[in-house]
Formats: sequence, C-alpha cells, structure tokens
Amino acid sequence: MQVIENLKVKEKVYKEKLKNGLTVLIIPKKGIQKKYMIWGTHYGSNESSFIVPGEKEVTNVPNGVAHFLEHKLFEQENGINSLDVLTALGVEANAYTTNDHTAYLFECNDNFYEAMDELMDYVQHPYFTDENVEKEKGIIGQEIMMYDDYPEWRVYLNAMQAMYHNSPVKIDIVGTIETISKIDKDILYKCYNTFYNPSNMTMVICGDFEPEAILEEVKKRLIDTKASGEIRRIYPEEPESVAKSRIEQKLEVSTPLYAIGIKENVKCDQTSEKNEIIRKHIAIEILLNLLFGRSSNLYKRLYDKGLIFNQPSLEYEFTNIYAHILITGQSNNPEEVYQNFKNEVNKLKQEGINQEDFERIKKMIYGGYIREYNDVQDIARMFLSDSFKGIDSFDYLEEIEGITVKYLEQILNDVFKEEKMVISIVKN
Amino acid sequence: MRYNQTEIKKGIKLHTINTEKFKTNLTAVFLTTKLTRENVTKNTVISALLRRGSKTMQSQEEISKTMEEMYGASFDCGIDKTGDNQVLRFYIETVNDNYLPQKGENMLIMSLQKIFDIVFNPYIEDEGFKQEYVEQEKNNIKQKIEGKIDNKARYSLDRCAEEMYKNEPYGLYRFGYIEDLKEMNRENLYEYYKELISTCKIDIFISGNIDETICQGVENDENIQKLQEREPNYIVPKELNKPLSQKENVITETMEVTQGKLILGLDVCIDKEDLRYDALIYNSILGGSANSKMFQNVREKAHLAYVASSSYLRYKNNIFVNCGIEIGNYEKALELIKEQIKDMEKGNFTEKDIENAKKGIISTIKTIDDEQDTGITYYFGQELSQSEISIEEYIKRIEKVNKDDIINIAKNVSINTIYFLRGEVEEKH
Repeated sequence: MQVIENLKVKEKVYKEKLKNGLTVLIIPKKGIQKKYMIWGTHYGSNESSFIVPGEKEVTNVPNGVAHFLEHKLFEQENGINSLDVLTALGVEANAYTTNDHTAYLFECNDNFYEAMDELMDYVQHPYFTDENVEKEKGIIGQEIMMYDDYPEWRVYLNAMQAMYHNSPVKIDIVGTIETISKIDKDILYKCYNTFYNPSNMTMVICGDFEPEAILEEVKKRLIDTKASGEIRRIYPEEPESVAKSRIEQKLEVSTPLYAIGIKENVKCDQTSEKNEIIRKHIAIEILLNLLFGRSSNLYKRLYDKGLIFNQPSLEYEFTNIYAHILITGQSNNPEEVYQNFKNEVNKLKQEGINQEDFERIKKMIYGGYIREYNDVQDIARMFLSDSFKGIDSFDYLEEIEGITVKYLEQILNDVFKEEKMVISIVKN
Repeated sequence: MRYNQTEIKKGIKLHTINTEKFKTNLTAVFLTTKLTRENVTKNTVISALLRRGSKTMQSQEEISKTMEEMYGASFDCGIDKTGDNQVLRFYIETVNDNYLPQKGENMLIMSLQKIFDIVFNPYIEDEGFKQEYVEQEKNNIKQKIEGKIDNKARYSLDRCAEEMYKNEPYGLYRFGYIEDLKEMNRENLYEYYKELISTCKIDIFISGNIDETICQGVENDENIQKLQEREPNYIVPKELNKPLSQKENVITETMEVTQGKLILGLDVCIDKEDLRYDALIYNSILGGSANSKMFQNVREKAHLAYVASSSYLRYKNNIFVNCGIEIGNYEKALELIKEQIKDMEKGNFTEKDIENAKKGIISTIKTIDDEQDTGITYYFGQELSQSEISIEEYIKRIEKVNKDDIINIAKNVSINTIYFLRGEVEEKH
C-alpha cells in the first residue's frame, strides 16, 4: 500500500489500487469510536450519454438514472431492503447522488463488519424488476416535489440554467417527473453494469483501523469482477458565453434569494499541470473572502445599508466538465447587491490586493482546512469526492503556502469577468 | 475524555470536557432565561446586538478580522427555545495549538477572552447600545421573523407547535414578534441587557485539549469577576401529567406549495423522569428511523411520502409526526398515520423492532464523545434538566426498556393537533 503522510495535520492515508481496478483509501483515526465507510462510483447526473466499454454505439439514457439507481440498489432479491438491515444494526446508513458521483455509506460505533457485509453485498447485487422500478417512481416523485418547494434549490438550479447552454449541470440531479417515467429495469441494469465496475469506483474507510487488516476485509467481500476498459463519456459542447444573464422565479418567500454565478471555461481534454486546479481553488477562495467575506468592505457596506443581514455563502464548484463560482444569499434588493459586487471586483482589479488582508485570509483558510480533519465523515467524504476529481486532499494544506498576491491577481483577471456573470433571483 | 463542572458563583457554572480527539478547541457560553411573551423578542435582538461589537472589538468588522487572524476561528451565535426557556448561545471554535504553523500561540485562552468580551462586555455609548446597531438589528430581526415562511417544512412544524401550545410559553415563536420591535430603543435594550445578564443562568463550556490552569484563568477573567451571583431565572423541564386531550384540534392552511406538509402534534403524558427512556424507544419505533412504522408503512409500502418520520422532544414531552405528501392524499395519509399510532397501543410491534430501536439510540449516544458540539449539547441538556446521568447509565436505562413499558407509553399518547399546509389548487402528477 502506498502511504501518504501529512505533517501539518498529522494524518496518514493508505492507498491501494486492487487488481479489479477498485481504489481503496484508508485513513486511520486512533482513539475515535466512530467509523465511517463510503463506497462511491464516478457516476452522477452528468452522465446521460456514453459508450459502454467494448461497444461502438452511443447509449443515451433519460435524466435522473444515477439517482434512481441510488434508490433502487437497496432493494434485494429476497425482498429485504438493505437500508432496513443496516438501520437494524444500529448504524447510520445513507446514500447520495451528485453531479459527478454516487455514494453509499454508513457510520457506526459497533457492528462495523456486519454493516460492511451488508453494504458491500447490496452495492454488488442489483435487483430490479418492472414492479419495484414502478413503485420507486412514486417515492422519487414526492422527492422532486419536495425540492420544488425549496427556494434555495430553485435559486441554485436557475443559476445553472442561466450560466449554461447545454452542460448537464443545468439539469436537476433527480430528473423530472417526465424523465423518470421513462426509466425501466433494462436502463438501470445497463447503467449499473457500465458504471459500477470496480475500476470506476473508490472506497474510503476512516476510523480506528489497522490499514492492512481492513484492506483484507474489503478484499474478502469483493465478488469476482474484471476491470473494464475506459467508459467514453459524451458531454454536449458548451459555448463559452453564458446562456442568460438573469433568471427570476416567483415563490412565496419573505426576503428574495439570490445566486450570483461566474462561469469559467473548462476544456474537457485540458491537461493542466498537477495541482493547478487546487491552487486555483485556493486562490478563488481567498479572493471571494477578500471581496465579500465577513471582514470585507463590501460586506460591511451592504450590511450597514440593510441590504444583507447575513454572510452570503461563497463557493467554487468544479468537475472535469464545468467550473463556476456561486455567491448565494438573501437581500431585499438583489440587483443592488449584484451591482455592488461587480464594482468591488473592478475596484480590486484596479487597486490591487492588500498584503495584510491577504495574509489574514490565508491564515483563516489554512485553519479551515485543518478543521476538516475533525470528523470521520468529513474526512471520508472529502477524500472520496476529491479522488474523483483526481485530487489528493492533503495537497490543499501543502499548496496554500505557495499562493502569492501575484497569482491571485492573475486569477482575479482570468476568472472574475463581468460578461461571465449571471444572477438568479427567487422572490414573491 | 473527562467531564467536570465547577460552580464559579451561584448561577454561573464552568463545564470542561477534556479530550485529545480533536484538531480544535470549542468554547461556548449559554445564557438561559425563562421564555416569556414579554421578553422573547428582546432576547433575539440582544443576541444580535452582542455580535455587533464589544468594548475591545468595536465593530463586526473588527470581530471578523480578529477571528480570521486566529486562523479562522469561527464565531457563531444563535437563539433557540429549549423547553420553556430561551437560550442565547455563543460559540468560538479555534484550531488546536498543535496544528498551528507557528508555535507559542495559545488559541484557547485567546478564544475565551474574546467570547467573554463579546457576551459580557458589549460596546456601549451613553448608557445605551450604539444607535446605528440597534436600528440595523431591529430591521434584521424583522426580516428574520418574516423568514419564518421560507422553509415550508420548518414552518409547518412551528405552526403546529403554536396551535398546540396556544397561550403557553412553548407556543411562542422562537425569534419573537415584529410588533414588539417598535418599542425598543438603545437605552431600554441596554437596561434589559443588564437585567438579563444579572439574572439568567450562565453556563460556560470548554471542550478540547485543556490544561489544569484554565479553570483558574476563567475565574480570574475580569469579565467573569464582575458578574454577580444570582438565583437563575429559568425553568427546569418537568414531567407532564395532564389529562389526555379528548379532542383533536384540526388546522388546515393554504400557501403556495407543490407538496402538502402534514404534521401531527402528540402529547406524551408521563409522570416520572425514567419514562422518558421508554418514550424515546416508542418514538423510534413509531417514526424515528428507517425501520420505523412511519417510514415502512407510509413511505415504503404506501408510497405516500418521501419524508415520513417523527421526533420526540424530551423537554416538552411531545412528539411531532412529520410527512410531506401529495395534497390529494391527505385523508389517506392521515388515516394511515393514525393506524400506526393505534398499532403502537395494541402492541403491534416486535421484539426485533425494540432491539433495533435500542441499537439506534445507543449508537447515537456513543457518538457524543466523538463530536465536540454534540458533547456540549448533551452536558448542557443534563445541566438544564438537573439530572446527572453518565453516558454509561443512559445506555443502561435504554437497554432495560421492555415491550410493556412501550405499550404503557402508547396508552398515554394522544393526538393534540393535526396541522396541514396545502397548496391553492389540487394538482395531480
């Protein structure tokens, strides 16, 4: 096993790629009772068009299949639902689907190996019938309707609609009532067989374990599968421009919600230098905090004017096919917040970055990275999602030191472009 | 992990949780006071004003810069109701000194100084809070109260509790009422602050890698020294022994929603503290987990909902059953939920169900040591209810609950309020 140690946060990760292609990451946490296991596939709502290894034809599937699969995998041939079995063991079990991956997990104190038996069994043994697929449409239908009532979700999704013309990030992860109605068991099996091959999957285990011993436990529970070839993923061509500069939706909310998006260009076949994406991520985090963090002039000004009453969330989201900045919050006048933000970006471009502010924000971000290593869940999820992006999570702690004002100014000019900005508003 | 408590002065306690498991140290100050119609909004405004500035950090900007300089210490504050009390909570989390790039900085001592400064030493001008801060925060609180409607699931729960506890403290909205804001000004708020700080129950928590001298340090802190001893003005949660409600109070409201939210407020009438463990298991079987009757029968078998659950609030001895359903399915869902409640009374659940419920609860209890904020919340809960039960003892009490105990709870559960939030038009999908 490969061992990667980080001296700053004083943690180690043990990494192994098995013969069947599965990547296993083990992060030992001495003295912690909680144990966390998560098994993910590099397959999310982004993938609805692909070429199955060994085939020539392109397969197209309706939106929402990855999430539908996530629901359906729990169901076993003997009529038992694995979620019930795991819950009965007293473990906290769950699953989730994102744009670029789907994950199955549990957290526990006791019964770890029994739960591991169940998790590894159900993920490796799909059982779909016409009847059980139909039944699930009712439950997912309610889930879709629940999200329709979440203003936070609407304002987010509309920001995606504004930024993107074709990219799959603009579709709802769960699909729509209409698209899920077209899903049947054959589609589910096809997607399962393609994307749930071990070579497309990563497992992360965090807790008080001996790495070698726990790896053996994993191997014992794997069924015999051969690594498949590479899955060709086909994504629609995405123009550089934004689709719409503004989207507004009516919903019953007290104070309007807004999401400011800044679209970035990502070339699918881009081969950038190792860790360039990490440095960019750190730089954008620092810039966002300089611009609109709690100690920023913009925050103070808008707060004093009563235009905002809490800290907006500042995020940078990226996969191999898209990247964007998102600033979300609530305001009685989102347009004015937007205009002020744009002005602040221009001002920073013109006046340059203050060294003292920069050092302070850098310290803050460093502390934030350390804090992510408190909880087994945070650690395991971070390593899983980073691994699908080809990132080693420890590298954030290493790269931050080398970030300079000059580099920040370059990113500021490259990424924070006015013509790439959009605003989404949800209001009464 | 070692937990200790010391009474610094009457009504003021220091709690320490000594643990080396974390990369962080967490400090917290809780101010607990009776929940009353008169003071509910004032407390919310005070909580907001305190984070605007202290004598040594006079603005939000200065507080933020200080926190950023402390390797991104996170300062949080909030207000909530816990039983018939309102609790103002303040937290500062800092990176443990072992993980700082430069040695010799003591983040824990610094965070204690800062948190005491913020809570006990606010920025005051001419015998009052700063005019500008008062105006802004009144306005913010107004928006916050109006924001009640934004999350429909949360709103429905709040509305159900309001109806269920009409004219009782627990029926009050946790952030208060807009009409109260008018009367508030910088002087009378400061007067109220002084009263609050000299009468409320004060609990100080420190969780992390603590050395022995810290308690002395807290006692000697000048902000702590100037606090008076007090007979704290709060309510110890008591068991409820009122007659079961005979009539169900049915409320239906309309709003722009796609999905209907159905909430049932249940009274749990128990007269002994010990019965709370039975009630916890009862709730777990009814709707507390994925194995529960609600999840299995309402979601998995009837496919009526995605969310189908229930939760037990031990400070008030009630249970809220919670469902998101298609509006047209109201009757069907309600009938099915009632059937689950009746089934509990008839004892239609298995030993396996009990076993599963216990495992789930015990597993949650065991994680208390692994999460800093959960640890603090647990010991604060013990402190408030004046019970000193160790985690081991808690687990023992859960383990000894049997089927008859649960049926006994079921007999003492009654539906108090049925609340339904629905859309204007019935839509079929």
